[in-house]
Amino acid sequence: MKRIVPPMVVLTVILGGWYALAYSLDNNFASGDGSALIVPPPHRLFVGLNDPTLDRIVSATWISLSAALVGFAIATLVGIVLGVAMAFSRAIESALWPWLIAVQVTPIIVLTPIIIRVVGGTFGARVMVTVLIAFFPVAANTLFGIRSVSTPLHDLFTLAGATRLTRLVRLQLPAASPTIFAGLRIASGLAVIGAIVGDFFFTRGTPGLGRLITFFFQDTRSGPMFVTALVASVIGLAFFLVIAGLRRLLISPWHRP
Amino acid sequence: MAITTRTVVHVDGISHTFGGALALGPLTFAVHPSEIVAVVGPSGCGKTPLVRISAGLLEPTSGAAIHSDRRPGSVGYVFQEPALLAWRRVADNARLFVTRRDEPIVERLLRVSGLADHAAKWPHQLSGGMKMRLALVRSLAASPDLLLMDEPFGALDQITRHRLHDELLSLHVDQRFGAVLVTHAIDEAVYLADRILVMSGAPGRIVEEFAVPFAGRRTNELRYSPPFAELCGTIAASLGRHA
Ligand SMILES: Nc1ncnc2c1ncn2[C@@H]1O[C@H](COP(=O)(O)OP(=O)(O)OP(=O)(O)O)[C@@H](O)[C@H]1O
Ligand SMILES: [Mg+2]
Repeated sequence: MKRIVPPMVVLTVILGGWYALAYSLDNNFASGDGSALIVPPPHRLFVGLNDPTLDRIVSATWISLSAALVGFAIATLVGIVLGVAMAFSRAIESALWPWLIAVQVTPIIVLTPIIIRVVGGTFGARVMVTVLIAFFPVAANTLFGIRSVSTPLHDLFTLAGATRLTRLVRLQLPAASPTIFAGLRIASGLAVIGAIVGDFFFTRGTPGLGRLITFFFQDTRSGPMFVTALVASVIGLAFFLVIAGLRRLLISPWHRP
Repeated sequence: MAITTRTVVHVDGISHTFGGALALGPLTFAVHPSEIVAVVGPSGCGKTPLVRISAGLLEPTSGAAIHSDRRPGSVGYVFQEPALLAWRRVADNARLFVTRRDEPIVERLLRVSGLADHAAKWPHQLSGGMKMRLALVRSLAASPDLLLMDEPFGALDQITRHRLHDELLSLHVDQRFGAVLVTHAIDEAVYLADRILVMSGAPGRIVEEFAVPFAGRRTNELRYSPPFAELCGTIAASLGRHA
């Protein structure tokens, strides 16, 4: 009950605000097919959502969802490997860190020519953008988590004559896992954003949610546009919930912050 | 120090500096097989660096810690905090580095220390005393020649502390490890040790040494006997003089 009520209160507030906005603006709903660029009230979102439109949304969802999933998986792997590498030596850390920040703040659009040359302008490009946007919190949190392992725990492994690999697998990664999960939670949201933003820059191939939103915008079809955005939100929420679920399963039983 | 005497560790003329400032030493001592040596000294005199040097974990600025027969697991260490692996259950913490051959030892240690009933719990579900017990069990699981303890009971209440003293002594009867016990608590040193080294304030040196004549009489009555109190008083005075 305590977990259900607060989000429902917020939902009610949002819906109320939405209705207030929709009816306070000079919206002309008369056309009835959702084709004007208006703010449709929630109950009119699905007006004009015919089968062909629905098919486009479904296939775009599939494209963006796959790009986000594949991108997130690669970002996780890349982030953890980078974090481990930087934790391994200060030299690697100081060599890589400025470049990671640089990649982090470079506007994606600058990278589009490179991305197109390297992975092409279709699915691979969306995945690439997703990876670029999502890997950083994983790398930073992996590094931070590993660096936070206390001296006594390291001493314990030293006394046992543990190899670097044993130390990594049995001490550093498990100890860092709560922190890594915090990074994954951020990265999961960024991955969905990346998959959709990537769609804005790369126009080849089957459109994903991002490009579909652009199409509906250009056709002034507000209803389908909002629905498409809603689908993106649902994907983001699903990612978040999956990560939260994994965390509950793998971390919560033993971790007391 | 006679060269012919066997030692588990010989801490030979070590001193240590942190950032150019002398924090410890120079000092020398040795621990013989199955001997418990207590080190008492004021806070900040460098006890923790001393223990880490004795373990071979910290390279002293000068001097050396010489181990007679060094191999993985030959030195057990009980840290100032329990230092358990939060992601491993109690039993899995106890057998962290234990080979299949030593499994029975772990089983027995868990039973003796009353942890067997808690074997499937996570460390965070244990009380402070239980956590220290587990740290002790883990440090003994590989049957070390030398057990180093850095104020292991410092965070515990007196009842738990006294109980753990007796557990440590009975484990010592079984395993006969040599031990260094670093502590603030003079009564703890007198109750557990065969020999007590008194350290000065920083930079810590060994300023006095006391033999403890209570072998075989370590029961609760001893704690409240006049000779026990007298030795505690003498050591307290020594600490006071050199602080
Ligand atoms: N890694 C370190 N780097 C720099 N200085 C240190 C380090 N470890 C200890 N010191 C210094 O060495 C001195 C001894 O400190 P330490 O904590 O080891 O004493 P201690 O005798 O173990 O005290 P306590 O009983 O409070 O644990 C202190 O002045 C401390 O600041
Ligand atoms: Mg200390």
